[in-house]
Amino acid sequence: MRALVVEDEAALREAMHRELTAAGFTVDLAADGEEGLFAGNEYPIDVAIIDLGLPRISGLELIRQLRSKNRRFPILVLTARDRWQDKVEGLDAGADDYVAKPFHFPEVLARLQALLRRSGGWASASLSCGPVVLDTRSQTVAVNGVPVELTTFEYRILEHLMLKAGEVISKTDLTEQLYEQDYERDSNVIEVFIGRLRRKLDPDDKLQPIETLRGRGYRFALARNPS
Amino acid sequence: MRSFSQRLLISVSLLLVLSFGVMVAVLDERFRAVSATALHDLLDAQMVALVTSADPDETGNVVPRLANAESRLATPGSGLYAAVRSGTSQPSWRSPSSEGSLVDFGPPLQPGQREFRYLTDLQGNRIAAVSRGLRWEGDHDVVDDLTFTVATDLAAYNQQLQDFRRGLLGGFGAMTALLLLALAGLLRWALAPLRRLALQIREVEHGGRDQLGDRWPIELRGVVGNLNTLLAGERTRIARYRTTLGNLAHSLKTPLAVLRSTAGGAAGPLVNEQVDRMSAIVEHQLQRAATSGGTSVGRQAVDVLPLGQDLRATLLRVHGYKDFALELAIPAQVQFVGDRNDLTETLGNLMDNAAKWCRAQVRVSAAIARSTDNGSCLLLSVEDDGPGIAPADRTRAMERGARIDEHVPGHGLGLAMVRDMVELYGGSIELSESALGGARVDLRLPGRMR
Repeated sequence: MRALVVEDEAALREAMHRELTAAGFTVDLAADGEEGLFAGNEYPIDVAIIDLGLPRISGLELIRQLRSKNRRFPILVLTARDRWQDKVEGLDAGADDYVAKPFHFPEVLARLQALLRRSGGWASASLSCGPVVLDTRSQTVAVNGVPVELTTFEYRILEHLMLKAGEVISKTDLTEQLYEQDYERDSNVIEVFIGRLRRKLDPDDKLQPIETLRGRGYRFALARNPS
Repeated sequence: MRSFSQRLLISVSLLLVLSFGVMVAVLDERFRAVSATALHDLLDAQMVALVTSADPDETGNVVPRLANAESRLATPGSGLYAAVRSGTSQPSWRSPSSEGSLVDFGPPLQPGQREFRYLTDLQGNRIAAVSRGLRWEGDHDVVDDLTFTVATDLAAYNQQLQDFRRGLLGGFGAMTALLLLALAGLLRWALAPLRRLALQIREVEHGGRDQLGDRWPIELRGVVGNLNTLLAGERTRIARYRTTLGNLAHSLKTPLAVLRSTAGGAAGPLVNEQVDRMSAIVEHQLQRAATSGGTSVGRQAVDVLPLGQDLRATLLRVHGYKDFALELAIPAQVQFVGDRNDLTETLGNLMDNAAKWCRAQVRVSAAIARSTDNGSCLLLSVEDDGPGIAPADRTRAMERGARIDEHVPGHGLGLAMVRDMVELYGGSIELSESALGGARVDLRLPGRMR
């Protein structure tokens, strides 16, 4: 896994370098927005950690530019201020998660790993398969234009299934979407969520969006709409 | 302080009443003098007729010969009277018309004397009388000093005077009313730009617009220009202030992050604890400084729904490892009037608390209600199905640094910050129980319908 760290404070950059290397990452370092933009565009980055308060190009601007050039790797934002405005703006610009300074490194690592598990070629913020539309930016789901109220876990499972629409997803894979650590979970939990999703998305049992493949897992059966 | 219109209307009314009053008094006086002269002339003419028609009768008394019996002097109660007296105050002759109405014609006069006076008859009517003293030289060298008197009832004269006055007062009254009405209309038209300015300033306060419009009368252009400059300057100042605070946070928190990343060994836990404390203090003070609150300059109308949707998406990521539903019951037309940042932080903190504490459900609702001062206000409520806050803990929960449960992470500044911000906006905050089973926070803030 190749991680890009864009942070202007040398001591912090070095500390992240050390910790990430120890956690098994290959690390690229950038001291300002311009270097970060270059590295993000040129190297096959799997995940990026970007400080919002960067010299030259601000963190937000860097994220916007990377996203506009279709760089889809997950981005973890470091904010100096624990403010909702910054978090909202960061996620709006295209970041995927954030950590407020001063952070505990294990937290950063946990979030990076969660982001890596979730990422799967997000071509657009909106995924639509048949009448089901899922917006990854606002985390909302609608069927035939009618909003469907989902819990976080239901949403997460549906998002994962739709990202890989047509593919068979194992229960283990889905369990990993839900829990931070790889606990041994009762696989019945997934069955319960799938059952709830089916009832909410398809109350009349006409659409049948989620297929069960005995012993193998689940598949989102509706074909992806051409964008 | 009275308004311009009131001042002008009051002063102009006073001036009008004063000048018209003087005019009425002068006109009335002139009319009265003219009518008095006319009355004199009338009586003098009658006197001449009376004197020339007078002749001694068979008893030797000088008696006026009335030309015809229909004349007013021959009709009792006609209002025109005449009498002749010779030396005494008792008349030697009186006109038939004075029968039963006039007794006293006053004292007799010396020859050549003339007199004009007012009398009162038996019914109490006012009467004007002209008397003239004459020396009558008869056929037989009889010399007699006679006093001729002609009197007329003043009722008709007074009636005329009253009619005139009524007409005068009516005319001037109507004119005053018309002028004041015209003035009121004029003021409305002339002061319309001021009213428009007041309206636009109110709109700026309530977030309906961010600058005052153009096209003002030349007298207002300077003031409006200055106000616009002030508004723009104040906004820039707030923005710059916030940027500075952001930079300050960055330069304070980054060293803390460095400190934490290098802290190890025996001192590790202590350093971590102190870093946490310092970070919380920095955050709290910056948060307070950045809350713009009541200043009406920074106020805008902010749509609540999109802001809630942004926060919802953010919170679902933040609390991604917890299974819960976050429902927004916010009509699209509901707007907050104030600073977008303030609402974001407030609602973010409340929703974050609710997400932390809930079991499976968080609901955010908003509505616009009529406020006590007849304006409108925004009612925001955030509720969850968690354990709730016991009534005894509710006051403490809003104090700075307070945490009801030490096990749920959070530096405990959330509710205190919300309370500070709500107070800056002159709103209110209330903690209660939700129908969902957990805590419910109700906020009352400036707001309106789009």
